[in-house]
Amino acid sequence: MATPVMDKAEATAKTDASPYITVTFRIRRFNPEVSEHAVWEDFPVEIDPKERVLDGLHKIKWDVDGTLTFRRSCAHGICGSDAMRINGKNRLACKTLIKDINPEKPITVEAIKGLTVLKDLVVDMEPFFQAYRDVMPFLVTKGNEPTRERLQSAEDRERFDDTTKCILCAACTSSCPVFWNDGQYFGPAAIVNAHRFIFDSRDDAGEQRLEILNDKDGVWRCRTTFNCTDACPRGIEVTKAIQEVKRALITRRF
Amino acid sequence: MKIHKYDTVIVGAGGAGMRAAIEATKRSRTAVLTKLYPTRSHTGAAQGGMAAALANVEEDNWEWHTFDTVKGGDYLVDQDAAEILAKEAIDAVLDLEKMGLPFNRTPNGTIDQRRFGGHSRNHGEAPVRRSCYAADRTGHMILQTLYQNCVKEGVEFFNEFYVLDQLITEVDGVRKSAGVVAYELATGEIHIFQAKAVIYASGGTGKFFKVTSNAHTLTGDGQAACYRRGLPLEDMEFFQFHPTGIWRMGILLTEGARGEGGILRNKDGERFMEKYAPVMKDLASRDVVSRSIYTEIREGRGCGPEGDHVFLDLTHLPPEQLDAKLPDITEFARTYLGIEPYTDPIPIQPTAHYAMGGIPTNVQGEVLADNTTVVPGLYAAGEVACVSVHGANRLGTNSLLDINVFGRRSGIAAAEYAATADFVELPEDPASLVVEMVEGLRAATGSERVSELRRELQETMDANVMVFRTEQTIKTAVEKIAELRERYKNVSVQDKGKRFNTDLLEAVELGNLLELAEVMAVSALARKESRGGHYREDYPNRDDVNFMRHTMAYREVGDDGSETVRLDYKPVVQTRYQPMERKY
Amino acid sequence: MSTDTTPAVGPVEGGHVHDVDNPAPLIEPPRKRTGRTPRSTRGNFEMAAWLFMRLSGVVLVVLVIGHLLIQLVLDGGVSKIGFAFVAGRWASPFWQVWDLLMLWLAMLHGANGLRTVINDYAERPTTRLWLKGLLYTATVFTILLGTLVIFTFDPNIR
Repeated sequence: MATPVMDKAEATAKTDASPYITVTFRIRRFNPEVSEHAVWEDFPVEIDPKERVLDGLHKIKWDVDGTLTFRRSCAHGICGSDAMRINGKNRLACKTLIKDINPEKPITVEAIKGLTVLKDLVVDMEPFFQAYRDVMPFLVTKGNEPTRERLQSAEDRERFDDTTKCILCAACTSSCPVFWNDGQYFGPAAIVNAHRFIFDSRDDAGEQRLEILNDKDGVWRCRTTFNCTDACPRGIEVTKAIQEVKRALITRRF
Repeated sequence: MKIHKYDTVIVGAGGAGMRAAIEATKRSRTAVLTKLYPTRSHTGAAQGGMAAALANVEEDNWEWHTFDTVKGGDYLVDQDAAEILAKEAIDAVLDLEKMGLPFNRTPNGTIDQRRFGGHSRNHGEAPVRRSCYAADRTGHMILQTLYQNCVKEGVEFFNEFYVLDQLITEVDGVRKSAGVVAYELATGEIHIFQAKAVIYASGGTGKFFKVTSNAHTLTGDGQAACYRRGLPLEDMEFFQFHPTGIWRMGILLTEGARGEGGILRNKDGERFMEKYAPVMKDLASRDVVSRSIYTEIREGRGCGPEGDHVFLDLTHLPPEQLDAKLPDITEFARTYLGIEPYTDPIPIQPTAHYAMGGIPTNVQGEVLADNTTVVPGLYAAGEVACVSVHGANRLGTNSLLDINVFGRRSGIAAAEYAATADFVELPEDPASLVVEMVEGLRAATGSERVSELRRELQETMDANVMVFRTEQTIKTAVEKIAELRERYKNVSVQDKGKRFNTDLLEAVELGNLLELAEVMAVSALARKESRGGHYREDYPNRDDVNFMRHTMAYREVGDDGSETVRLDYKPVVQTRYQPMERKY
Repeated sequence: MSTDTTPAVGPVEGGHVHDVDNPAPLIEPPRKRTGRTPRSTRGNFEMAAWLFMRLSGVVLVVLVIGHLLIQLVLDGGVSKIGFAFVAGRWASPFWQVWDLLMLWLAMLHGANGLRTVINDYAERPTTRLWLKGLLYTATVFTILLGTLVIFTFDPNIR
């Protein structure tokens, strides 16, 4: 499906050498219908290094082993289906090019951590979405609705712009060491989505959301390891957002 | 096998499905069945904006918007529907804002608007700023906002449930919707959902093309489920090719890039759209721009060693403007092409983008069984449906509008119907077709591979029924598809398990794609004219005498079990605008 | 593309036999999110604890560095320390308060730190309970004992 893409459009005559190289995908397989054990399995794949990790997984699934199971949809980093642990770091398989992760060595691919593994790279996302739903991720307003749109200055809009980018892929939450050990922690993604509304000038439920996150499993469990910020495929400054929520809780100004 | 009973069942949780769900949940007991988690839906990939004549930045009115929609659709638009679309656009945008959508703002705090292809002032005088947007993430924001409001309303979702069959029961000579059959991905279990009303909002079919902006999951499941049950598909030959997809990958680069001032250039650096559309230039409608790009490429003015693409030039725009208005697409260029859009032009080519056709509905979203008869209890909205507000070519930003306006209308209509109607009895052995389909594939031992058939389908579609079509190429496609459908009977899957058997579902999806590709090619073959997204080199002109009508394709099964596509036609609703020559 | 695959780790000996109708248990994380989280919070304890860690940390830096300077660096260094030195210092209420503050802040700071470590890493509720019980007992004991010594110190004990 995906075809190799040339680095620069201006690149002149193609080189004769094939762009394809052999890359080993070392994938953590788990199928409860076969075994209770998860095992690492190696797949050598002929691939252009400018292709995505997702392209490699598709080649395996379509040409070698149809039982390999993973979620994917848009394939360009906006649907958030294919967050996985690639070479020990949480990334979207469709936003990671082979050339950027050292194809010389085997590329390890496993399910994201801290959530129940259902099959191969597929995890149970329900606890993740539960935490999201628990922070009231929707606009709450008081008073009468205006007939036209609510007004908001460009600066007020800019205040929460960063956290509106979240695609709920769970890369941040499942990279958090606190979450790995304690799934009761709301996790970065839920806090990011609370932040998006707490700092929206149109919203009137900031206090309630802050109270929810004041919980013992709320923002105070963040240890600022910055794993979430590193993992975010959308470039959201997740740790900063969490710190801003902490500050809002102390100063009650937001 | 489990049986569930709901007043309203919605198939699909993209923009249209969730907009319908918000309305239906308030009025009836509603379930949303979706093969993806709702926020994974492809509405989130939409970038540029949502058109509405708010007139926040310059003079505008919904009547001009109606005209642009009709003209953009090359007069194949049902004008009563287009009028509703343009009129209700304003409230649709304001509703989303009230639900919390973070639109970009003007200096005085109202929703900001920008230019977009085909949207003009006073019936084509000059481009108008009509598209309400949130950077180049408008679709993402709409999807998130609708999901947030579904959480707020407590909408009941069944995530990763694939609807594979539509149940229809004949009551007193009237074919009524009885419910749907779904396959639960996690367990492999089959569920029957008996429902008074069913709304299809399952999206498009773009995956039968190779270079496409569509997600892997857009395989026309809703269209196929209805088509298999004898319901028609309307205007399937009209498929939109978005002018600016990333070269070879097809990833969408919004038209908003040209709305912000981006320019298309050929290998000589020439702004070639000036030749083809002197007034609207780069902002002519999508079919016009896509054809112009391919004309440049065919005449040897394409870029690159193979001359197979052109450039989208953003280098004259200030980096701050790109960062503020087009952050995502500039990042795509950096991630996937290694190109810095501040300084280098981006190689692009047209990419298969949007199905104008689909399940025919009236303006309430009720599905039609023929040119006039409604199927009681069956609704459709969004890309899966054909109202038809897009006619032969959809205007940019009108799809996000379509899902909100007609998603809302069908949600209300379905729930109100469910409030008065009774459950329709399920047909005998309701799951039989799905069990046969799923178990047949699981047990199959044939030698054909799903991926190989899909690859061949996509290649033949790209080669033969893309921007330029002729009798010859379409016939080639029809023959190839027939061959592939024959070979599909001999396909097998490797994964025989029950849990998360995506191997099996890819095979089911391929079946849907093959069926719909055939409908598309057969419809295209019969339309011997050029109109909007359907361009026949052997019939380069629009033929209003013979083809000012919608194609209606029906599945016919012969006595020997052979399947054919039967074509019929439906008149176009014209109210205020008489067909004129279409110039930009 | 090569179609052969080599498992990096082979099938494990002694595993149970699982098939489509008899699936193996899933791989669960240590502590899964359970049900609905409470809507109301138990006061501001966690916030207070978090703030306390930061503030006590700052104060402790001053107290501890001051303490170390006096004890180990200034005026002859460590060799000067003896019973008389301590007795002389604790004759002044200023040093009594200094040391008392240092004792309390350091103990509470450390104990709260350990509490979070236990919260983060102890997986079973009973383990958590026991570890915290032990921690709180030790903390209270040390604080009480230290406080007692500071206030009841008798320079003429010999």
